[in-house]
Amino acid sequence: MSKLIPPIIKKNSNLKRPLLMFGLIILLVFTALTAMIWGAVTIGWKNVMAILFDALPYYRSETAAGIASVYKDILLQIRVPRVLLAAAVGSSLAVSGSVFQGLFRNPMADPYVIGISSGAALGAVFAMLGGFNLVFGGFGAVPLFAFFGGIVTILLVYSMARVGRAVPVMTLLLAGIAVSAFLSALVSLLTYFAGEKLHQVIFWLMGGLGGATWQQVKVMLPYAFVGYLAVSIFSRELNAMLLGEETASHLGVDTEKVKKILLIGASLLVAAAVSTSGIIGFVGLVVPHFVRLVAGPDHRFLIPASAVLGGTLLIATDMLARVIIAPTELPVGIITALIGAPMFVYLLKKRKKLRYFGGGG
Amino acid sequence: MGLKIDIHDLTVAYDSIPVLDGTSFQVNRGDLVALLGANGAGKSTLLRCISRILKPANGHILLDDRELKLLNNREAARLMAVVPQETAADFDFTVEDIVMMGRFPYLTRFRKEEQKDREIVLRAMEMTGVTHLAERSIAQLSGGEKQRVVMARAVAQQPEALLLDEPTANLDIGYQSMLLELASRLNSEQGVTVIAAIHDINLAVHHFNRFILLAGGRVLAAGRADEVITAENIQKSYGVPASTFRHPLHGVLQVSVARGKPQAELKTKGLRVHVIGGGEEAMPTLEFLNQAGYDLSVGPVSAQDSGCRFAHFNGLPVVIVPPFTNMNQEHRGKHLQLMRDAEAIVVPPIPFGEGNLPLFKEVEQVLEEGKSLYLIDFAEVSKRDYSGGKALELLSGMIEKGAIPLKRIEDLPDLIGKKEEIVDD
Repeated sequence: MSKLIPPIIKKNSNLKRPLLMFGLIILLVFTALTAMIWGAVTIGWKNVMAILFDALPYYRSETAAGIASVYKDILLQIRVPRVLLAAAVGSSLAVSGSVFQGLFRNPMADPYVIGISSGAALGAVFAMLGGFNLVFGGFGAVPLFAFFGGIVTILLVYSMARVGRAVPVMTLLLAGIAVSAFLSALVSLLTYFAGEKLHQVIFWLMGGLGGATWQQVKVMLPYAFVGYLAVSIFSRELNAMLLGEETASHLGVDTEKVKKILLIGASLLVAAAVSTSGIIGFVGLVVPHFVRLVAGPDHRFLIPASAVLGGTLLIATDMLARVIIAPTELPVGIITALIGAPMFVYLLKKRKKLRYFGGGG
Repeated sequence: MGLKIDIHDLTVAYDSIPVLDGTSFQVNRGDLVALLGANGAGKSTLLRCISRILKPANGHILLDDRELKLLNNREAARLMAVVPQETAADFDFTVEDIVMMGRFPYLTRFRKEEQKDREIVLRAMEMTGVTHLAERSIAQLSGGEKQRVVMARAVAQQPEALLLDEPTANLDIGYQSMLLELASRLNSEQGVTVIAAIHDINLAVHHFNRFILLAGGRVLAAGRADEVITAENIQKSYGVPASTFRHPLHGVLQVSVARGKPQAELKTKGLRVHVIGGGEEAMPTLEFLNQAGYDLSVGPVSAQDSGCRFAHFNGLPVVIVPPFTNMNQEHRGKHLQLMRDAEAIVVPPIPFGEGNLPLFKEVEQVLEEGKSLYLIDFAEVSKRDYSGGKALELLSGMIEKGAIPLKRIEDLPDLIGKKEEIVDD
């Protein structure tokens, strides 16, 4: 932390967070532009800017008029929606990760911790093997089944964990692990009998943003926005929950209500992300930890900062997935794990402890 | 300021085992109450009902005549703050962050902390002496520092009642009294009603002025220290024999739990030892012999003497002399009888003066009859001799007649051999 932040900023903590946030947003914009420039076909940054501005209403760029329309199509129909989708998915995963880690007071928690991913995977695999010809709101069967698989799972886990009117987080965590294991076994079973669809199933499970469309962006964004709003409004309560449910309750937090809202909000984010992109690991685990290391556990900063950094990270890793063995694409889930896991270990080693859960010293 | 708390007929059961069984009492505005009782007596359960963590199966809790369950969380948190036994602090909030959380019940969804809140937090940190820790991470603090930070948060909550649940259980004695001192300052300076569940009765009597003793989920006694903390109540509630006494320095009531007399070992069984005199100096000797399993007799001692209390507590034969009076013929006769009944006589390292030298006439008499006489710490006797050398002379004479000087009471030989000798004779 001390090395990352110049001493002047550290002394004046009122400035630290706005400056950090500003830096993160600059990084996001820079990464997004790079991802639009770079790819199987590289488009010069001047051309990218020209096409982007030209696409804005009431403005016509003269440079853009001279650019071949194939570049415009690549940029506007393929790269821009893909970057936006990567940003939305990455943000959703990182935000839900920080919420689950806070809610469960467990640094190991990630967006998939209470079984949403296995539920979504089961739904998706089921849809693929069933070969349903279902289209709803511009969506095929796979994302629809994945979304509802995730949501049904979370409802199931929640009702299993309920004791009277209360839902103890520890029970929730354990019920989630049990349900998750059970559903994963079902996914494996279905995968075993996948036959010629094996490749499709495996590819989905590894996660990727290939074939992103504006339609996906349009559907994903409202979910992400609603989910984000729900969890960020309750970030002060989430801070108090970190001190333990009883203490939070003593401070005036309606813990059961807050838990329910946070759970719904975070689950919505994850379900939307998983149904769009499959299972992308490590973003939801690493990003909140990184932000916490630099700026502390206050969710009023942690949540927005995780959103920006998570989006940035997924845009960057998705770009790598596109270009490493271009024109073939790697599943981005592989890249996030390949980069995320060592990064996580590095943080662990460097700090000796994750500042979130001190473990003494 | 100050909250009135009425508890009416509260019932709580865990798995149909009642923990609170019709508990009722009243805490008045500005009371400073210690909640006493054995483990499982229901202290914590009661506090958890008042702090809304537990919902009682039956009964009512009234805060200033308002039903507790009709308040919402924020309203309740503006009235009551809680300091638990321990606070999880595995995360990296600064001390200031933690104390600022005490302002939570006053902040609305879209109202951020204002200057006023910051000032309240600063004052709370000053009062509890944690200002210098403000920028430190809570995870790096010691247990005592952490409890003071939690106390600061409770102060920042500006409550009308403060509930403490075993707040000192994990603290050293310095922090223990510092924390309770803070609670009583809040009570006296701001009129905050304080209810604290506390294990350490002797600590509680220093800091509180009302006591509620729970046993089996009911109120066994309530009132001032001398009304509640009696040997009988302690026995009923905690199930151990105890004695109460006034602290020699400040006169507050104190409780001492006696070690029960162990099953006598064979070698000391039925052997009576008589200990001469009482006072603080004799106590280690008495306690040692008692623990070693000997039957004891004591005397002569003054009626208010610690040796006298020891004898009464353990039900021992004792010669008691009224304070400021000399021994009369009856006392001397009884003392002689006790010494004759004993296998051995021990003289603890008591001071000697004109007041107690006469009784050694009978001691000399039984020594001449062949009783074993042990003189503890004879080497240092001149330091305790206020009779101008008469005591030294007297005791030296006894040693010539067979009395045995010992450095410490622990050096006392097993008396078993002596007994066999007697039997052989």
